[in-house]
Amino acid sequence: MSDALLVPGPVRTLAAKDVRDALRDRFILIVTAFLGLAATVALVTGAIALRGDVATYEAAKATLLAIGKSADAIKAPEFYPLRLLRGAIEQIEIIGAAIAILIGYRSAASERGRQTLALIFTRPMRGWQFVAGKALAGLGLLAGGLGLVLGGLALVLHLMSGIGLTADDLLRIAVVWAVAVVYTACFFLLGFILTLHMKQPSHALLVAFAVWLVLVLIAPQIGDTLDPDNQVAGGVFKQLSIAKPDQVQIMKGFANYETLRDGIEQASVTKHFERLSFAVLGIKATYTGMPLGPILTQMLANLVWILLTALGLGALALALPLNPDRLAIA
Amino acid sequence: MADSPVLLIARQSARFVLRERTVALLATLFVALVLISAWLGWQATATVDRIYVDAAAFLQKSGQPVPPNPVLDISPLSLMRNMSVYVALIGALSAIVIGNRLVGLDRKAGILPLMGIRPISRAAYALGKIAALAGLILLLALLSGAIAALTFLMLPAVAPTAGQWAQLAGFIGASALYMAIFGLAGLGTGAAARSETVGLLVPVTLWLTLTFILPQLTANLNPTAAINPISALAPLPSTPFFDAASQILGPFSLADSYKFASARLLDYLPQGIASPSFIPPVADLVLATILATAFAWRALIRLSMAQGDYNV
Repeated sequence: MSDALLVPGPVRTLAAKDVRDALRDRFILIVTAFLGLAATVALVTGAIALRGDVATYEAAKATLLAIGKSADAIKAPEFYPLRLLRGAIEQIEIIGAAIAILIGYRSAASERGRQTLALIFTRPMRGWQFVAGKALAGLGLLAGGLGLVLGGLALVLHLMSGIGLTADDLLRIAVVWAVAVVYTACFFLLGFILTLHMKQPSHALLVAFAVWLVLVLIAPQIGDTLDPDNQVAGGVFKQLSIAKPDQVQIMKGFANYETLRDGIEQASVTKHFERLSFAVLGIKATYTGMPLGPILTQMLANLVWILLTALGLGALALALPLNPDRLAIA
Repeated sequence: MADSPVLLIARQSARFVLRERTVALLATLFVALVLISAWLGWQATATVDRIYVDAAAFLQKSGQPVPPNPVLDISPLSLMRNMSVYVALIGALSAIVIGNRLVGLDRKAGILPLMGIRPISRAAYALGKIAALAGLILLLALLSGAIAALTFLMLPAVAPTAGQWAQLAGFIGASALYMAIFGLAGLGTGAAARSETVGLLVPVTLWLTLTFILPQLTANLNPTAAINPISALAPLPSTPFFDAASQILGPFSLADSYKFASARLLDYLPQGIASPSFIPPVADLVLATILATAFAWRALIRLSMAQGDYNV
């Protein structure tokens, strides 16, 4: 028995079996392809829109030069290849999280549906080893799927951008991949815990989707909607022709409002993933061109939040006692 | 006089579904968000107004011209603009679950063979299910409409005109149509799918595609912008690709159609912005509802009354 406790053999065996099952089943491939499609559409449409902006700028510049005026009056569109990943990151934070819930649901529901858990526990395996094996398989599948999607995006970006990606760019994408795996693991664990412990697996899936709606879509949407600059088409300050430093000065009078708005956004793990990814990739203008080290230092709180959410859910999954009577199909 | 089989099936199905805790959870979440949307609209508009007062003082002090207050251009109806987002998110998802459960509960309970030996035609069964779905979605839409109306009546500074009340009713109608499309998709796939999970996942995938992928192709709208009622109405990027994509995909991009219909009816559509699709938004929603009804009807008519539970 002590061997079974110390040697993680059963964990590895269960994880490998779960990954094999998942790969044999086309489901994982289909959902990964769907996420890949959504992310690629976001990347390509972003690139097309940028190309349109460049063409508009070139035309305006040519017109100004033709009439003998300086082209300094118009601002050239900025081109940072990694910024084109904005839509793709948003797709990962929404669709990636939904897919993670489904993987967690299937991981738990498969044992309940086949009623194989009682059989598994006739072997020398502890409850925590079962949970750890399932979680390891889920993490592996998420890491593989996200690796494929982000790797594919990097390749498209490299070929499409015309200037190629540098080693630093690839490192930034790798950092985002690692954080995305931990972020989606939170939703995998949510779907897994609910499906393993609720009376009916289909109800667990719906409850997990309700939580997903609130955390991924509604909380960030409320924060975004309360942003005063999103209330008027084009932005309130732009409409009032107020420069950025003066905007900051005026907004000092709305500190409580901004704290509330930020608090609503902070409640969502999705927003932490978004802030960290946007900073690392230089999507947020403040961080464009900044070295990776200082960005990670500044974004440490977001990283800790994501890690703690995943670890907390992981600890909950391990701590909740498994009830074999509940593992029959409801 | 005895009730018709259609009415009996509709009433019994609606009662059965309303007992489901997950349906109640999603419906409660939807109603709560409609209430929040009223608060959000009021809070955000009031903040812009206060920012204007501060900005006007700042501009006057620095001797610059003071532009008109943008809040004065905002119609009272636009206070409820967030409701369109919540209908598109939780309303549509609730409708999918209701549609799925309406037929899924019968399949899971294994009562179809029992119904098959009763003198009830397949058409009556299909009609009863569609009527139950229509009734439940109408209930959700009317509930959200009542909350919106109460909000306007309770806010003393807001006094919609008769025309604006009619617009609000039109918006509730458009919202009911949008939810019905997804509800019918959920009903149809719930009847056609071999497994319970697939029956739920197919309409959810359709919803994800319509909400987050098509708007990117038609207008380069990123997912978070697509669920912000104001950001979602940004002008189209002026490139031949988006001109063509918005024309070709416009009629299929139902989230775009609902977005434009809502913005027009709730008076927050910016000047110079219009749906690029060749089919007007409301007509597009009506057409999609007809197609979704045909799909659900076909799936329900073909549902085997000889099989008790799901195959998988």
